[in-house]
Amino acid sequence: MKANNSTQNRLTRRRIIAFAVILVLAFAIFLGRLFFMQILQPDEWVVQAQDNNTQAFNLPALRGIIYDRNDTILSRNVASYNITLIAAGLPDDEGAVQEIFRELSELIDLPVNQGELTLEDPYVPCISDHGIAQIALYGESATPYTEVQVKCDVKEEIAMIVREKSMDWPGISVEIQPIRDYPTGSLTASIVGFLGPIPALQEEFYRELGFQANRDKVGYAGIELQFQELLAGLNGRRVAEIDVAGKILKPDIEEPKQPQDGHSLRLTLDTRLQQASEEILKDEMQDWNDYFGKIVYNSGVVIAMNPQTGEILSMVSYPNYENNRMSRFIPAYYYNQLANDPTKPLLNHAVGDVLPAGSVFKLATAVGALNEGVVTPDQIIDTPPKIEITEKYYANDPGRAREFVDWNEAGFGQLDFVHGLANSSNVYFYKLGGGYKDEVPDGGLGICRLGTYAAALGYGDAAGVGLPDEEDGLIPDPTWKRINHAESWSSGDTYIASVGQGYVLATPIQVLLSAAIIANDGKYMQPTLLRDVLDPDGNVVELWVDEEGNYYDAPVPGARQISPFKEYQNWDITEDPVIQEFGETTIRGCEPIIGQTKTVEPWVLDEVQEGMRMAVTIGTLKKQFDGATISAAGKTGTAEYCDQYALAKNLCIPGNWPTHAWTVGYAPYENPEIAVLAFVYNGGEGSSVAGPIVRRVLEAYFELNAIDSAAQNP
Amino acid sequence: MREPSSTTWQHFDFLLLGAVALLVIFGITMIRSAIAGNIELLELNLVGRQIIFAIGGFVIIIVTASIDYHLWASLSRTMYIGTVLVLAVLFIVGSAVFGSARWFDTGVILIQPSEIAKIILIIVLAYFFSRNMGDALDLKAIARSLLMTMGIVIWILLQPNLSTSIVMLVIWFALLWASGLKLKHLLLFLGVGIVIPLASFPFLFDYQKQRILNFIFPDPDATFGEIYNIRQALITIGSGGWFGQGYGQGSQVQSRFLKVRHTDFIFSATAQEFGFVGTLIVMLLLLFVIFRCLRAARLARDSFGALIAYGVATMIAFQAIVNIGVNLNLLPATGLTLPLVSYGGSSLLSILLGIGLVESVILRQKSLEF
Repeated sequence: MKANNSTQNRLTRRRIIAFAVILVLAFAIFLGRLFFMQILQPDEWVVQAQDNNTQAFNLPALRGIIYDRNDTILSRNVASYNITLIAAGLPDDEGAVQEIFRELSELIDLPVNQGELTLEDPYVPCISDHGIAQIALYGESATPYTEVQVKCDVKEEIAMIVREKSMDWPGISVEIQPIRDYPTGSLTASIVGFLGPIPALQEEFYRELGFQANRDKVGYAGIELQFQELLAGLNGRRVAEIDVAGKILKPDIEEPKQPQDGHSLRLTLDTRLQQASEEILKDEMQDWNDYFGKIVYNSGVVIAMNPQTGEILSMVSYPNYENNRMSRFIPAYYYNQLANDPTKPLLNHAVGDVLPAGSVFKLATAVGALNEGVVTPDQIIDTPPKIEITEKYYANDPGRAREFVDWNEAGFGQLDFVHGLANSSNVYFYKLGGGYKDEVPDGGLGICRLGTYAAALGYGDAAGVGLPDEEDGLIPDPTWKRINHAESWSSGDTYIASVGQGYVLATPIQVLLSAAIIANDGKYMQPTLLRDVLDPDGNVVELWVDEEGNYYDAPVPGARQISPFKEYQNWDITEDPVIQEFGETTIRGCEPIIGQTKTVEPWVLDEVQEGMRMAVTIGTLKKQFDGATISAAGKTGTAEYCDQYALAKNLCIPGNWPTHAWTVGYAPYENPEIAVLAFVYNGGEGSSVAGPIVRRVLEAYFELNAIDSAAQNP
Repeated sequence: MREPSSTTWQHFDFLLLGAVALLVIFGITMIRSAIAGNIELLELNLVGRQIIFAIGGFVIIIVTASIDYHLWASLSRTMYIGTVLVLAVLFIVGSAVFGSARWFDTGVILIQPSEIAKIILIIVLAYFFSRNMGDALDLKAIARSLLMTMGIVIWILLQPNLSTSIVMLVIWFALLWASGLKLKHLLLFLGVGIVIPLASFPFLFDYQKQRILNFIFPDPDATFGEIYNIRQALITIGSGGWFGQGYGQGSQVQSRFLKVRHTDFIFSATAQEFGFVGTLIVMLLLLFVIFRCLRAARLARDSFGALIAYGVATMIAFQAIVNIGVNLNLLPATGLTLPLVSYGGSSLLSILLGIGLVESVILRQKSLEF
């Protein structure tokens, strides 16, 4: 040490204190911050730490099964096998991994390398077509401890081979996923419907109900949609502790909530009758198409129900679709093809199509005219080939003459009530509905009274059979016409409505209901497709439903029992005062007299029933029911229509519109237990194509009945 | 040089050694907890390595303490030249051969020369300033000291290792200050000190720029980006509470949401497992160690010894402040570890070497103490 200035400590106290001050200040700030974070606001951080550390798993509930009345399965869950990969489970050795990929590739026919993971072409389970290596790469980077699907819906044999290989192929496994299967396929598709992914718009709604958006499916159509709430069940939930790579450290850190499987449904349908109905419809249409040498008839409806209980035994809406094709995902090309088809296969025409009812609507006119005393049963009415009526738009309108022709160009001469109905004479019903000179004075039944009788017979309001998208149909009145056509109701409109043409629109189920109510002596039994609701163990549960569609497991005022099945009478037109009385009908429209209602006299229904019976024995259905061993009654309808498809084909020639064919019938006449409706779109003459269908379905029903009772009493 | 007889082990600072030992032992314990569950780190046997470094380090403390620190003064020039040469060779050869050049493979263990270089810089600067204190500390002397410092720093900066470079510059400035930096010079430096960081920002590497930008303008959406680690560190600290989740029980630590938890973020890991109280104790121990170093600086026989102790105190204090500040998101992310606690053999060795020097100074303190 040469310099004397380095032989003593010249480091001043000040310079040390300055250091210490800075140091203490910094540590004080740190401690303050530490105290603030750990002691004053720890909750915020603890929540985030738990968030990091826990993962909730949604446990899927099994969807309920749909049976027909004889426990034939219409919709069920089947196992679908997916080959999956857990990236963290693959061997460390790259060569071994490649070996596994190569062998797996050969087995499941998926290249090891295919495509590339990009933003434009991301990995989408079961849909994107990446190679095994690309999917493994995705799994490794995104969810190393969670299964990613390599190939979905492989054959069971392949799944078994993969399982056997699980020792040699670490990281590769088989996932079993339930998918919906419809053993009866297209036969019941328009009733059962199909499932689809949760739509983005409803994601929030379903998430709150415990659904998992890109896994769970919900009903898109039919029973699957209508009873989604009952079928779906309640998903379970478990919460596990995970580490940063998603590996489960503790399986259940809170009490797991087990999933509650959905309810199963037993429908009123009889698949055998459904099958028969569809075959008969197709067969009859085929016969006529063969006869014409071209396809004229390609769309129709057959419904069979028990008029005494309201149970729907078959409901065919043809053409339909194959709902099994929608079970995994909804193929866009197939869906678009169905959506663009003019015959609208996705629509259940039995409840969702509104059509001109034609002459089957004469049942409403008939009941009304007798009950109101417009005619007496024995009164003879002149029924020439055509009548000329002055069409008036208001009371003092001088009007102009308009011809109304009968379908029978020769005319029927003179008819009493039952023969008028049996022969479905247009002129007879024109006169009843709109009045004719002194023969049927005071304007006949009139549109207002016709409307209330139609409503009493089930028209104008959706029947509520238990399907989505049911339509109301239309019973027109002067007010409706003013609003929708900006025109006054004319006397001609009444004449046309009396025979079910013009503005009158009905769904096939409504037409069937009108006949069923008459057949059942005026008792309107609530039609239904649902017979019982079953719990996951197969026991029938007690269930009530109110107007809003809420389910209750005990009787609640305003709710009706839907399970176990109990027939429900909406009303009895001979006992419940469902017929509204009207004051003088004015240009302003129908003016109901508040509080004045009445019932239908029972004898009126006897007369109408007799007319319908005579339609089969001597009238419009005589030829079709020739030699029948069952005592049936019925009514035909030939409904003129002019829709967009007819227009497009230039079929709407004035005075010669194309026609739909209707026939409704029931049997046995004495104690009706089955009512059948047949409708063929553009089916021409009502009786010729639809009549035989009704007869054959009635026969099929009784044949099945015989088989069943033979099986029961051997 | 004084006679060795004036050196008595009765002055040996056992409290300092004890505090250091506590911190190192706690650090090893914490490293064990932090790497649990990480197979790769377990296979590397980090705990075992740290123990070996710690044992070696304590031997170094005893050896260094027993050697009169004035010996290093006479070796100052040799050590400086040697360090510059090693760093330069490492940079040139290392970057040519390995691409990166922070490590020096001794065959048995990897040594980071930059860590040892910090201690050598302290000795060299302490020796230089001890001869240029007070009035002698003119601008020329300051410039020379800076030049000497930069002779080492430049190679570290080129590695590139910004944080160690900053530590070295801070040591330089602290010793400059201790040597009686005049107020007018200080103000001059302050002016330059503001200009230089702004002017040098464009010359930083992208990842360095990014770190600073992320600190100043955090991107709220960058969950998995650069701020992920900091975010996880905050969650880790915040969820500790008063007494922590328990040793080996910290959810963020054991489930590995906290990254580099055995090095840069061992403070956060401590905060979650031992809570506010445990962390407070660690911080107080660190403060105690630094204050014992400052005490040595105060009691040192001469300026050279005082400056060595002051430099070691600076090194430990600055690294601790920066590391804890980063953990608490009060400072931008750097690669600085928590002295004595974090995993890192070279770092531990160099700090224990520093402690040894401080002990050497305190052993040979002014004889006028009662």
